[in-house]
Order: sequence, then structure tokens, then C-alpha cells
Amino acid sequence: MGVKGLIISGDFNKVIARQKSEQSLQIGELLIGKTADSNVLLQVTDLLYASQISQQNLELVSGMNLEQGSPIEFFDENLRAYNLAILKSLIVTDQDSAQLCKQLPSFLSPIRDITKEDLSFITTPKNPLSLGKLRSGSKAVNVDIALNGVDVFSHHILIPATTGKGKSNLTSCILWDCVDKEYCGILVLDPHDEYYGRTKTGLKDHPQKDKVSYYTPNNPPPGEKTLKINIQNIKPYHFDGAANWSPPQRQALSMFYKKFGKKWVEAVVMDKDLDQSTRFFQDGTLAVIKRKLLSILDLDWDGEKLDCKGIFCLKGGDTTINDICTDLEKSKTVIIDTSHFAGDVEILIGSLISSELLKKYKHYKLTGELKEKPVINIVLEEAPRVLGKEVLEKGPNIFSTIAREGRKFKVGLTAITQLPSLIPREILANMNTKIILGIEMAPERQAIIDSASQDLSDDNRNIASLDIGEAIITSNFSKFATPIKIPLFEEVVKQTKDSKPKAKNSFSGIQMS
Amino acid sequence: MKFAHIADCHIGSWRDPLLKDLAITAFEKAIDKTIEEKVDFVIIAGDLFNTSFPPVDQLKRTVTKLKQLKDNNIPVYFIAGSHDYSPSGKTMLDVLENAGLATNVCKGEIIDGKLKLQFTTDPKTGAKLTGILGKMGALEEKYFEQLDRNSLESESGHKIFLFHALLTELKPKSYEKVDSYAVSTLPKSFDYYAGGHPHFVLSEKMGEKGIIAYTGPLFPNSFSELEELKHGGFFIVEDQQSTRIPIKLHDVESWKLDCNKKVPEQIQAELKTLIEKAELKDKIITLRLSGTLESGKPSDINFKEIFDSIKEKGAYAILKNSSALTTKDFEEIKIEVAHKDQLEESLINEHISKDDVDHLDPIALSKKLLETLDNNKEEGETVYNFEKRLKEEVEKILH
Repeated sequence: MGVKGLIISGDFNKVIARQKSEQSLQIGELLIGKTADSNVLLQVTDLLYASQISQQNLELVSGMNLEQGSPIEFFDENLRAYNLAILKSLIVTDQDSAQLCKQLPSFLSPIRDITKEDLSFITTPKNPLSLGKLRSGSKAVNVDIALNGVDVFSHHILIPATTGKGKSNLTSCILWDCVDKEYCGILVLDPHDEYYGRTKTGLKDHPQKDKVSYYTPNNPPPGEKTLKINIQNIKPYHFDGAANWSPPQRQALSMFYKKFGKKWVEAVVMDKDLDQSTRFFQDGTLAVIKRKLLSILDLDWDGEKLDCKGIFCLKGGDTTINDICTDLEKSKTVIIDTSHFAGDVEILIGSLISSELLKKYKHYKLTGELKEKPVINIVLEEAPRVLGKEVLEKGPNIFSTIAREGRKFKVGLTAITQLPSLIPREILANMNTKIILGIEMAPERQAIIDSASQDLSDDNRNIASLDIGEAIITSNFSKFATPIKIPLFEEVVKQTKDSKPKAKNSFSGIQMS
Repeated sequence: MKFAHIADCHIGSWRDPLLKDLAITAFEKAIDKTIEEKVDFVIIAGDLFNTSFPPVDQLKRTVTKLKQLKDNNIPVYFIAGSHDYSPSGKTMLDVLENAGLATNVCKGEIIDGKLKLQFTTDPKTGAKLTGILGKMGALEEKYFEQLDRNSLESESGHKIFLFHALLTELKPKSYEKVDSYAVSTLPKSFDYYAGGHPHFVLSEKMGEKGIIAYTGPLFPNSFSELEELKHGGFFIVEDQQSTRIPIKLHDVESWKLDCNKKVPEQIQAELKTLIEKAELKDKIITLRLSGTLESGKPSDINFKEIFDSIKEKGAYAILKNSSALTTKDFEEIKIEVAHKDQLEESLINEHISKDDVDHLDPIALSKKLLETLDNNKEEGETVYNFEKRLKEEVEKILH
């Protein structure tokens, strides 16, 4: 294995190595250094020029080249002009084990490329969630990176990235990997209707498509379901995060629910009497809640007949929420196409499902059945809409509750965002796995660095330089902040062979001509 | 165009001869009504019979009514349902078709591995009918997956699709655990979707589809259906407007008695008072008892005496359900839940303490085994392969 450089100075946080002349190092590249008795996995965090020639002479020589056209030539050029690399120690490896690094690599010891053998400590965990290949700089190393899916999903995932850096590709890859896994059920609130793949490659093309359930309000593909939710399934607290209620409005909703039970929405919009309690509320309060309910639920009340124009209906849709929860408990991936809805409706739908799910899983914990259940993860695009500081200042919602306590009940979130800085620090810290894609804005990078599971204080530049499909995983469940290369979703689909044996078609009972 | 949409007649169901007679009487009444209404044709969306080979006396009465329809120039179009379908292909429905009394519209051919359904055209109205039969465990869903939809959807004219299945988006809470499939499974652009199978009434337009309708049973088919529905019915559809025609044979009076912390004598006395006060002439009485007796056992209640008193008051039939009535006197497995899954789980739970399994989680193990052994033979799968598959799956669970 060729030597790439020599360690020459620095301190524990910043090991400095001189790069060998014909070698080329990249930011993020992984290298192996040596201590007296083990190997140290190092990563390049910065690169800089160095020269034995004084700055004054360099300026003079370059001036002669620019102004007079004189060629730049040095005696023993390789010795006098070179690059330095700033390295950080990631872990110490010893055969199949790895520990956090607490020592410096040996002074003046060589550094070299990593080999597969150096990485033998990276093994496939139980319930693997595949995330891609290990990456050294911009090169993929043929080592699969997978984390324990049960741990990772229940302790929440954050996927921060600037637009175009591959958030959708990564999410598609994760979902594809999870479809046939029995350890997890995934709920995707899909505001761009991109993951099922109506018009392009998507989860519909998975060999185990029967483990994908797709709900859409309009024109579902054959075999998929129309999203219809009976308004009798809605409870006042489902609106937390979806609608802003003043304290009197909130109290009025509770009163209606207490008096009319499942028919409370109909009671509000049809101006049904709360009897004695009505006098506690001003007409304006009742009018506002009626107007808001009519608007969010897309209902029409002409004084005589209540019509449902949207997905919230009076007939049918009785079992939708329970069907979705049951599918998730059967380790299915459920995609809800919310592309036709305004933000508040999307949040209401998410809140309805998530609340019921968390309620069920809390019950399972109580009855001791939880260990038999798959972990459930809820994928939230543009997460600050429900987990943002501004939103949570108005009160908690089901998603902030899950972020805080969901892991105890095997319910987790995957929050996808361009603006992680809008999410409160407390919630960011609870997201125990972060799959960081390229982020150009410094405040957003800082928010991630400040809440990462590993020390990323030297990785600001590294994160900024992440190209499309490159990521860094920082997680409580990985030994070090792991650079990965995410495969292209279309390639993953192509590589997945249809392994399910095809049953012979038989059409008994149909009279054949 | 005017036609009748009937489903779930379940002729031959009920063990009680009086109620068995009502199922066929309901069918006779329905046919009389269709003749009286001068419908152009009759649709039967599955489960005409309760089994593929109904009792001869029931069959005789059915054939008589079908013959009457034929004599009145009213054709009958049907599909088989989950009850009267036979995997061997031997079903009385074939006999009816061969005798020219009814036409099975579930016809097709396989082209390039796809199922191309054929339309049966009603000569009088030009209506085009086709459909897919119903099978136990919603096994027919696979047929829909292989369906050549283009040929169905591009066909012009007034089209009617017959199906015998529960649709997910339309099912009420009480049907939550019943196999169902999405509305989108049905082909688009039909004017009327004549459904059967679930025993509730519904007629609704959904999305790009025409009217999707369930008539409910022609006569309630179980104790709880008698309690809930009271009577059956069917639809007469004219100009895309469906009117439900109820078939009322006898009034149904349902009594529910909470027996919790009561003694048999007390219950008997309460029932006597109830009988004395009620007008029971010609009625069907359903009596449901639930709760845990304070002392004594359910058999201490003299039901014979109660039934005799009810009969004396002229009731047509009496049905009793005391499955949720338990006693404190015996140490037995107590089940407080009604659904099959919950029932299974409670039974497993009750048994764990009595018969512990050392190294495996008994609940999970039992549930997985039950689930595996509940598998049906797949279409095209040989018995040998089916057994082999089951054995392999069971072994996988046990090791």
C-alpha cells in the first residue's frame, strides 16, 4: 500500500501531515496512521499549501512569470513545494474492534490509503438499515454502511440538506431498503407525491409491492386506496399544529366533543346547541371555530345539508386510520399523497394517524406486546412546519410529542429539512441520527454541528463541500461520523432482482371462452 | 332501463327450519316484486345459495321462481359468490345456467397472461354486463391484478360490473378486520357497480366511477344481523336512481339483557315481565344475555319455560344468544371480548400460565402459527406444494 504522507506536527485535534508529492489528498479522505501497537483511522479536514521558499521569494518568482513570462522552476521542486493536510483522528482500530481515539498517531509515521481489511470492524448490525457505501473523499469504498434500523428509527433521524443535494434520492433509497424488512413500518407524508412513483420509478416497482400501501385523494392507480377519512374519527386535539385556536375556541371545541362525542364536528357546523354551556362562549367564538372547521375539512353547510367536498367525509372512510395503523404494524410502508392539500390539512392528516399510532403503541407497552411490534417511523418533509420553534411556541403537537418521548414506544420521526436551524435545539439533540447532505448556508451547518452525536467542530468545510449523493452520518449508533456515498435510486431499483417466485396464473371460476 | 340488483340471498342458510324458510321466502317475495315492477332484467351479485349444493327443497323453490322470471321474459344475470362458488367448478349455479334460467356474466379469456373479461349484452336494453366472482378470503383480488382494464374501460354503452367483495374505503368499523380491497381495484367507466358480499346497504358515487352499490342481504343471515338489520332488501335501479325495496317478512324484536351480578331466578323473573308487557304476535324475538352471574349457572335459567311463554303469545320464532353469559361458580376461561383475534389472544393468554413454554415467547409463537396455518392454497398451487410450503413456514417459526 503506497504511502500518501508523513505525520509531521499538530496536536490531538489537528494532526498535520505532509502530502507525498505524486499523491493527491481530498477533503474528507480516510487514511490509516499508526500508533505503537494499532492503526488510527484519520480523516482529512483541511488542505493547505506549504513551501520551503519564503513568501517574499514566491511572490517575486510568480511576478516574474506573470509579467516577464519567465518559467517557474525550482531546484528539487518536490522537496521545496508541497501540500499539508490537516487530519483528525476518528478511531483506533485493532483487528476487528474499534475504540474512540485517545492517542496521537506516531510522530513522523507514514499515512496510507484505507483497505477493506482496515475496516473489518464495520460489520452488518442486527436489523440492518442500508445507507450506502463508505466514502473516502469523493471515492466510494466497497464497504456497505448499515445501522441497526430499530435503534435508528426509534431514536429519530434528521436529514438536513440544501435543495438539490439528494434528500429525495436518499429517502427513496431508505424507503426501498425498508419495504421488505420486517422490523419496521414506515409512514410517509409525501407532499410532492414522489415516493410511490406514479409517473416515474418509485416504490411501486419494488418486488414486494404488496408491502407498499398508497393512499391518494384522486384517481388512485389500480389496487391503491382513495384517501377518505370519516369526520367522526376526528378529535379536537388532532388539530394541534394544524390550526391555531385561542383558549376560548379550544375550550368550545372540548365542550362540543364532550357533549356530542363523535358527532362533534357536525354539531359545530350545524350550530347545534350546547345547552347551558353556550352562554360561556361568545357568538364570535362559535362562528370562528365553525368557519375554521368548514375551511380545513372542506365542508359545505347550506343551513340544511352538510356536504363533504374533500377527503373528510360523512359516509365511508370509517376504517382508514385503523387500516393505516394495521398496515404499519404489519411492517408495511404506507405513503400518503398529500400533494393536493394545503399545509394545515396535511398536518391534520399526519396528526390523526400519528396520534392513533402512538396511542396504540403506548397501549402495547402497557400490555407487554411492544417488543413484538415493528418500530414505526414517520417521514416528515419540510419538518419545521411542525417542529419549528415558531410553531411549537404556540403549543406542542403530536410530532413534538413523538420527538420527545416516541422512542420509548418504538415510534420515531425522520425529519427532512433545508433549515435545521428553525428546529429547537432540544429536538435536534433528540434526533440521534443525522444524515448530513451538502449544506451551503453556514448557520444551518452550525445548527447541525452543535447537535451532532460526534464532534463535528472541524467538519464545517467538509459539510460545505459535500457533493450530490455524498453524506456524513453522525449517530449514537455509529462509532464515528461516517462519510458515505449514497447510490442513485434508479440504480438501486435496477439492481434489485425480482426474487419472489411467480405463481402460475389460474382463473378458476371464470368461464373461459 | 330498469333492473333489479339482488345479492346475498343465502338460500339454504339457517339451521332453524322456520328461519331457513324465511330465506327462500324472501327470495320468492323479491322475485314477485321484480315481476310486478316489470324490470328489464335481474342481477344477482353472488351468494344466491349458501352453499354450492343447496338442499333440494330450497333448490326446487328457487328454480320455480327463476322459471317464472323466464316466462315473463326477464333475464337473470349472476356471478358466483364466496358461498356458492366451488373450486371444483361443480356448483348448482352451472345447472341453472345450463337449464337456461340464468346467465353467468363472469366470462373471459386469457390473452398474453392477462384476463380479458367478456361482456354479456342484454338483448332488450343493450346493457353490457360483466363481472368477477367472489371467493373466500378475497382470493379473487389476484384476478383483478391480471385484468385487462383497457378492453373493459374503452367499451362503449351502458355498462354494469358485478362483483362480490368488500371495498376498503366503504367499509364500516364493524367490518374493519374483514378482507377487503381498494375501490380502485374495480375497472373504471362503468355506470353501475352491482356489489355483494358485505351485509350492509350502500349506494354511492365514487370519483370517476359510477354508482357503487351494496344491497345488503335479502334476509338477515345471522343472529346479530337480525338484531341490527331486522329485515333484508334489494335495489331497483331506474335511470341511475336506485330505490331500496325492503323485504319485510316478520317484525324483529331484539332483547338485550344485562345479567351481571344477577341470579338465574332474577333473570327469569325479568324475562317474564318483559314477555307479559310485549306484543309478540308473529314476531321474531332475539334474546341476547350477557354478564357474569352472581351465583348459579346459565343452565339454571329455565329457557324452555320462557320460550313456551313467548310462543304462547304467538311469536313466529325465538333465538337466544348467551355466549357472553358466564358464571362465577366455575373456574373456566373467561373471555370478555367479542372479536375473533381478541378471542384467540385471550385464549392464548389464559393458557400460558397453565402450560409454560421455556424458550419461546408463547403468545408470539401461537399467533405466528395460527397466522401461518390460516393460509389458503394459492391459485395454481398443487396440494403437495401447498403442504410443503406450510410445513416449511411452520418449521421456520419453530426453530
